[in-house]
Amino acid sequence: MPPFDDWNVIDDEEDEELQDASFFEGKKDVILFCIDCSETMHELRDDPIYEDVKTSHLLTALDAAMQIQKKKVIVGPNDSVGIVLFNTTRPSEAKDRTSEIKKNAFVYQPIAPISAPTIQELIRLIDEARGDPEILRTAFPPIQGKKMPMGDVFTSCNWVLRDGAPKTASKRVFLITDDDNPHPNSKQLLTSSRTTLVDLTQSGAQVEPFFISTEEKLFDPTKFYSSILPSNNFGDDDAEDSGILPDSISITRTDDLLSQMRFHEVPKRALFSIPFELGKGFVIGVKGYGLITEQKKGSYKYFVDLGDRMEVADSRTVYLDEDQQAEVDRHKIVFGGKLGAVPAGDVSEEEDEVSMTASRTVQAGHRPFYTAEEIRSFRTLDLEPGLKLLGFKDKSELAFEDNIKHSLFVYPDDMKYSGSKRSFSALLQKMLEKDKIGLVLALVRRNATPVFCAMVPQAETVEDGGWSEPAGFHLVFLPFADDIRAAPIDEALRASEDVKDAARAWIDKLCVKNGAYPPDSYPNPALAYHNAQLQASAFREEFDAESFEDLTRPKYDMIHKRAGPLLKEWKKALMKDENINNVIATTGSKRKADVSVDEAEIRSKYDSGTLGKLRVDQLKVCPSHIPSSFVYRSSCSVLFFSSGFPQEQRPANSW
Amino acid sequence: MPAERAGYTVTMFLVDVSPSMGAMRTVELPDGPNGEERSVEMTHLEWSLQFVKLKIQEMIFNGRKTDQCGVLIFGSEETDNIINEKSGGYEHVSEYIPIGQPNSGTLAKLDELRASETAGDPVDALIVGIETQDIYLEKKRTWTRKVVIVTDGESPIEIEDWEATVKKMAGLNIALTVVGVDFDDDELPYHEENKSTFKRTNEAFYAKLTSSLPDGLGLLGTLSYALLSLSHPHIKETKSALLQTTIRLGDVKTREAEAIEIGVKVAKCTSLARAGGWKRFAGRDGSGDVEDEEKVTFKELKRRTEYFIDRSSDGDASAEGKGKGKATQDTSMDLNEERDEDDESDAHQERVEKEQLVRGFKYGSTYVPCPDGQFEKLNTKKGIDICGFFQKKNFNRSYPMSELSYIYGSPSSAPDQLAFSSIVQAMYEKGVLAIARMVLRDGADPKMGVLSPVVWEKVDVLLWVQMPFADDVRHYTFPSLSTLISRSGERIAKHPYLPTEEQLEAMDKFVDAMDLMGAGEKDEDGSRIPWFDPRLSYNPCIHRTKQALFHAAVVPDIASHPLPPPNPELTKYFEPPRRVLKRARDALEECKDIFKVKEVPKRAPKARKDGHVYARDDDEDMILLDQKGPARKHPNTLAAASTSRALLSPSRAAGKKKAATSDDSETETEEEEEELLIPAKKPKGSVEPGLPTPTASPEPEIDPQRAPGRIIGNTYPLRDFRQNLSQGDVVTKAVEDLGVVVREIVGRPFASRRKDEMVECLQALREVCLKEDEIDAWNAILKELKEECLTYSRNNEFWSELQKLGRSISLISSPEAKKLGGLSDISESAAEVFMQQ
Repeated sequence: MPPFDDWNVIDDEEDEELQDASFFEGKKDVILFCIDCSETMHELRDDPIYEDVKTSHLLTALDAAMQIQKKKVIVGPNDSVGIVLFNTTRPSEAKDRTSEIKKNAFVYQPIAPISAPTIQELIRLIDEARGDPEILRTAFPPIQGKKMPMGDVFTSCNWVLRDGAPKTASKRVFLITDDDNPHPNSKQLLTSSRTTLVDLTQSGAQVEPFFISTEEKLFDPTKFYSSILPSNNFGDDDAEDSGILPDSISITRTDDLLSQMRFHEVPKRALFSIPFELGKGFVIGVKGYGLITEQKKGSYKYFVDLGDRMEVADSRTVYLDEDQQAEVDRHKIVFGGKLGAVPAGDVSEEEDEVSMTASRTVQAGHRPFYTAEEIRSFRTLDLEPGLKLLGFKDKSELAFEDNIKHSLFVYPDDMKYSGSKRSFSALLQKMLEKDKIGLVLALVRRNATPVFCAMVPQAETVEDGGWSEPAGFHLVFLPFADDIRAAPIDEALRASEDVKDAARAWIDKLCVKNGAYPPDSYPNPALAYHNAQLQASAFREEFDAESFEDLTRPKYDMIHKRAGPLLKEWKKALMKDENINNVIATTGSKRKADVSVDEAEIRSKYDSGTLGKLRVDQLKVCPSHIPSSFVYRSSCSVLFFSSGFPQEQRPANSW
Repeated sequence: MPAERAGYTVTMFLVDVSPSMGAMRTVELPDGPNGEERSVEMTHLEWSLQFVKLKIQEMIFNGRKTDQCGVLIFGSEETDNIINEKSGGYEHVSEYIPIGQPNSGTLAKLDELRASETAGDPVDALIVGIETQDIYLEKKRTWTRKVVIVTDGESPIEIEDWEATVKKMAGLNIALTVVGVDFDDDELPYHEENKSTFKRTNEAFYAKLTSSLPDGLGLLGTLSYALLSLSHPHIKETKSALLQTTIRLGDVKTREAEAIEIGVKVAKCTSLARAGGWKRFAGRDGSGDVEDEEKVTFKELKRRTEYFIDRSSDGDASAEGKGKGKATQDTSMDLNEERDEDDESDAHQERVEKEQLVRGFKYGSTYVPCPDGQFEKLNTKKGIDICGFFQKKNFNRSYPMSELSYIYGSPSSAPDQLAFSSIVQAMYEKGVLAIARMVLRDGADPKMGVLSPVVWEKVDVLLWVQMPFADDVRHYTFPSLSTLISRSGERIAKHPYLPTEEQLEAMDKFVDAMDLMGAGEKDEDGSRIPWFDPRLSYNPCIHRTKQALFHAAVVPDIASHPLPPPNPELTKYFEPPRRVLKRARDALEECKDIFKVKEVPKRAPKARKDGHVYARDDDEDMILLDQKGPARKHPNTLAAASTSRALLSPSRAAGKKKAATSDDSETETEEEEEELLIPAKKPKGSVEPGLPTPTASPEPEIDPQRAPGRIIGNTYPLRDFRQNLSQGDVVTKAVEDLGVVVREIVGRPFASRRKDEMVECLQALREVCLKEDEIDAWNAILKELKEECLTYSRNNEFWSELQKLGRSISLISSPEAKKLGGLSDISESAAEVFMQQ
C-alpha cells in the first residue's frame, strides 16, 4: 500500500464534499429566542399528547427552545443562544453585563455559547413548570392591559444581540407569539415596529417568526406582521421589497412549534452561487444547497489542560525538508509525482549526499514540477465555476445505479442575473411537463473538478402544516467510467416461478401502499447514541443505555403478523425447487466468462432497451464483437490498440 | 487467472541505439500562450525514449513491487549480456538496466542514452531479452512476460531463426510489442515517404513477426500513435471484493420458522475514483557545493502536524479564537492570503506537544473528556435487515447519498441463491424497492438504504444505495417560484419573477430543440442513440492529472517542454453535440430575446441608509455595518449572512482566514473582495454614507454609491433611471429603486443641497409611473417619502418643497389613472388632501 494519508492531503483540502459541519465550522450561528409572555401565552391548555396534563404556549415555547439548544449544541458546538421574554412585568436583573433593555422585556438567558449548565437550568425550569404550570406565571408575570410596543421588543433584541453575539456570527431572532395584532389602531406603533425591525436587520440579524394559531383564534399575519416584516423573510434569498407577502410560519398546533423550529435550526446557507449557462449568451444565476448531507458525529478534539480550564488545541500542517528539518515556505512548494522506491544499489546516480529523501536534480533554472496554480488547472481543465446545460433526456435515462454521492439542490438567484427566476421557473415547468431531465457539466467551485450531473426537476408541493418541497432542480452526480465497477458475478441459480410467486405473496403484504422511503422515520441511531452519551457526560449524569431506542430496527411484530405464515409457505416452496440440492463448484470458473459476450446478446439487449445491463468490461470488448458504430468508434479502436501495449488493462483472455 | 492480476509482470524494453537513431527530428509541441506554433528538436532516440519512459513512469505511478522492468540496448559499442558471457555471439547487445522495480533513477539513466556508432540486431536483442527475462522469472512462472522493441528499423536484421524465436515466445506466452519510429500506419494514417529499402523490408519483417504470435500476443505500431494512445484515458480497473454478509427478514432469533436469513455477497458497483498522486517538493540550490552550482535539487517534503493554542483570546471568553484555529488547519491552495495572516496570528500562538493533549468533545462550551476518541457504540449485528417495501415509482431520486453496491446470493449455496433469486424476481415483477438497514460489520454503525432488484440474463441481483437518516435532510425553505402573494394577501399574477405565456412558449421550443435522446451515434439500424453515456465518460481531472504527472516525470523542464493538451476523449462531453446546437439556435435566440436576462453588474457594498445610528456608537462594529447596508435590501440575505460574518470579524486575520479556507464559490469570492475594503475604512466614525469605497471589481463605471441589488445609484439617480428605462423591461425595478434612493437622500443630513435634483427625480418618476402602470408603486413611494420627511428624518423642508408643487406631484388618483387605462385606489379628493397635510 502506498502511504495513503500522505497523498490524500490534497484531496482533503479540496474535497468536493461540503459537509455542512466542516465547511461552516468557522461560521457561528446565534439564535435569540424571543418569546411572548402575555396573558394568552400563559393560559393553561390541555396537553395535546398527555391526558390530564396542562401546558401553556409559553411552556411549549420554552421547551422548544431547550430542545433546539440541545440539538444545536451538537451540530454547532460553537454556536450561541439566548432567551428574551417580553410582555412580562419581571424586572431586569442587574447582572455583570447589564444590557440596557426596554421595560417589560426580560433576559432569561443572555447570549452565550451553549453550555451544559445553562441547558440544565432551563430543563429544571421546564420540569418544574410541568409539575406546576403556575410557576411560569409567577416567574414571568404577564403584563396587564396594553402590550409592550413591538418596536421596544426589537430594540431589546438588538441590544441583547449586540452585547452577546460574536460579531462574525449569523444572527437570528426566533420570534414566538400568539398575538397577531399587538397594537390595534396605532399607526405610530406599527411604524416604530417597522423601523426598529429594519435596525435589527441592518445589524445583521434576521427575524424568523413562529406564529401560534389556535382553533379559537387564527393568527392573521396581514393584520400587523405582514406590513412590518421584510418580504420573503424565510426565503431570505432576495429580500427585495417587491410587495410580496413575507413568508411566515403559522403554527396551528403547538407541538408543531418544535418541528417548525427544527427546519430553521441550521441557518440556510448556500454552498455556491454560480452562473448557469443554458446556451451561449443565455446565462442565469443559481445557488446551490446541500439538502441531503450526511450528518456525522462530531470529531473529537485535542485539548490542553491549562490548569483552570481545558482549551482546544488547533492543528496546522507544515511541510518540512527532512534533511534540513526546516519548514518550507508555502510559496516555494511545487508538485510532482512520486519518485518511486529509493534507488537501490547500482541503479542510483552519483548522489551528492546520502539521503533517505527522494529527490530529483536538474539543471539550474529548470523545473520539472508544477506550481499549485498549474495543479488546479489540471483539476478544473481550466473551466470557470458554473453549470452548463448540455441538453435534455428522458427521465428514464437516469438509472438507479447512476449514483456516486448525495445530490445538491439548485435554486435561481436573481441578484446576479436579473430575470433568472422567470427563466428558471419556465425551464422547470417545461421539463416537468415533458418529463425530462437535464444533463449539465458542473464545476461548482473554483477548486472542484468538472463533473456531469443529471438535473432532476422537482415540482413545488405543499403539505398541510408540514414541510413543503421547494421548486428547483436536484443535481445528481453521475459516475464516470472510472467510477463504475464491473459486476463480479454473472451467473447464478434462478428460482422457479413457484418460489417467486411465494415470495411475491409476502412482499405484497409488506409493501407500504403509496408509501416511499421515509427519512423522517429514521433518526440515525449511531449518532443519537453518541450524542446521548455526550450529553449525559456533559450533564454529569449516568448514561442509561437501556432507555435508548433504535428506531431503525425492523418492526418485527408487524412483519410477522402480516407475513409470518406466508414466509413459512415460501420456505416450503423453496425446498421444492428442483435446484435446491445442487452442489455448486466453488472453483472460480466464471471469471473468464465475465467479458465474453456475443454480438447477438448485445443486440438483443439493445433491442430490448436493456443495454444498461451490460457492464463496462463487456462493452469494452466490443471491437471484436460488435459493429463499432455501437459504441464510440474512437474509444473502441484506441482501446484495442492500447491493449497490445504492455499494461494491465486489456481483455482478460488475450494472454 | 493470473493474467488478471495487476502487476506480476516483467517488461523488457529493447531499445535501438544504432547510429540512425541519433538523427534529429522536429517534434511539435502544443501551441504557446499566444497561439504560436512551437516545436522542439530531438533525436529519434530521445523521441523513442519518451515512450519507454512513459511506460516506466506508469509503473512508478502504480508503485507495485511486482511490476518490474529491465532495459536492453542494441547497437551499443560494448557487449554485455548473459548469452554472450556464456556462449559468445550476440554482440552489441547490452543489459543497460537490470530487471527490478523502476524509480526515478531508472528514468534518469535512460536520459543518458545516446546513439552509438555501431548497428545492432533486434532479433539478437529479442533472444537475449527473452533469456534474461526467463532466468529472472525462473521461480516466478506465473508472472506475465512482456517485451517491447523500440527501433527505427534502419539497421540490418538477421532473420533466419525467427520462427524458432516465435515458437519460444509462444511457449512462454510472451507479449511482444514493436514500436517503430515513422513506421507506416494505415489507421493513423501515416506513410513515410522516401522510406529506405532496409526499413521497408524490416517493417515487413516486424509485421510478419508480430502476426505470427498466437492470440494477438504480437503488436506492431508506429511511435507517434503509441505516444498518442498513452494520453488516452485508461481506466484503472479494480476488481470489487466480495464481502460475505446476510440478508434477514423478520426476527431470526426467536421466530426462526417465519423469518428469513440468506447468505449473500456484497461488492461495490460504483466507487468514486479520485485524482491523486501529487507529492510536495521544494527546490534547493546545490547547497554550498561549488560544483553543483549549475544544478538544482528538488526534495520531497514531509508532512507534519503541529498543535498550538491561541493565547491571544485569554480572558476574552475563548469564543472568538476557536473558529480561527480550525480554519488554519485546512491548507488552501490559495496560499497568498494565508501567509499573511499566519504571520499575524503567529504571535499569539503557542505550540504544544502532542503528548500534552487529551482527546475529548465539546458540548457547547463544556468540555467532555473522552480519551478513546469515541463513546461506546451501538451493539449491532452484521447483516442487511429488510424493513419493508414500497413502489419504485415513489422513489425520490434526490435521496440516494452514496456509492452503489451489488448484492448476490451466496455463490456457494444453492438454497441461498434460489431464495435470493425468488425475492429479487418477485420485487422486480411487482415493481418495488425494499427499505433496508445495513450493518457492515458487527458493531458498525447502521445505515439505512434501499435495495433495487435487477434481473440480468443469468443472474438476479439487488443494488444497494444508502438513503438519508432524518438527521441528514435539511429542510431549508425556499420562496415559491409560482405563487407570489401580495402584502394585501392577494395572489400576484404578473411579476418579473413569473414567466409569461410567451416566455413559456419560447422555453418549450428550447427544451425540445436541446433534446439529446436522438443526438448520439447511430446504432446499426441507423437510428440514433441518446448522447452521453456515463460508461464512456472519463473523469477529466483524473486523467489530466495523470497525464501531467507522467509528463513532469519524463521531461527536464515544464517551461521548455509544456504539457500537451488534454486528450480529446476527456473533453468530448464538454459541449452539447454540434447537431443539437445547430437545431436549437433559433430557439435559443428567441429565449434570449424574450427572457432578457441581464447580468447585474458587480456592485460596491451599499452605503448605510440612515446615518443617525452612528451617533450612539461608532465602534468597529458600526463601521463594518456601513459596508453591509440593510439586509433587507441586500442582494440576498444568504450572501449577506455570510458576508457579514466575514466582515464583522473581530480582527482582520480571522476574517481573512475564513475566506482563504472556505471554498471558492463566488459567494466566497465576494467576501474576499469586500474584505479588502475594510482597511479603506480607517477613518472611523465617518458618517458620510456614500464614502467612495474602493471597489475590488474591475468595472470603473460602476457608481460607488449604488447599493447592492439596485440598478439606480445614489450619485446620478436620474441618469441611471433614464438609462434603465431606455433598456426596457426593468421598469418596475427602476421605479422601486429610484423611490428608495430618493428617500435615502432626502433622509440624510444636508439633503437640502440636492433638493432640486430630488424634486426633478420625483417628477420624472411620477410621469413614468403613470405611463408604465406603476401607479401603486408611485403611491407607495410617495407615502413612504412623506413619512420619511415628517416622521423620521424631520426633513420637513423637503416636504414643503413638494407641497409647493401641490396636486401635480401628489398620489395618482383613480380618475387620473383611468385616463391612461390604469387603476388606482386613491380618490381624487384623497390625492388633493394628501399634499396639504
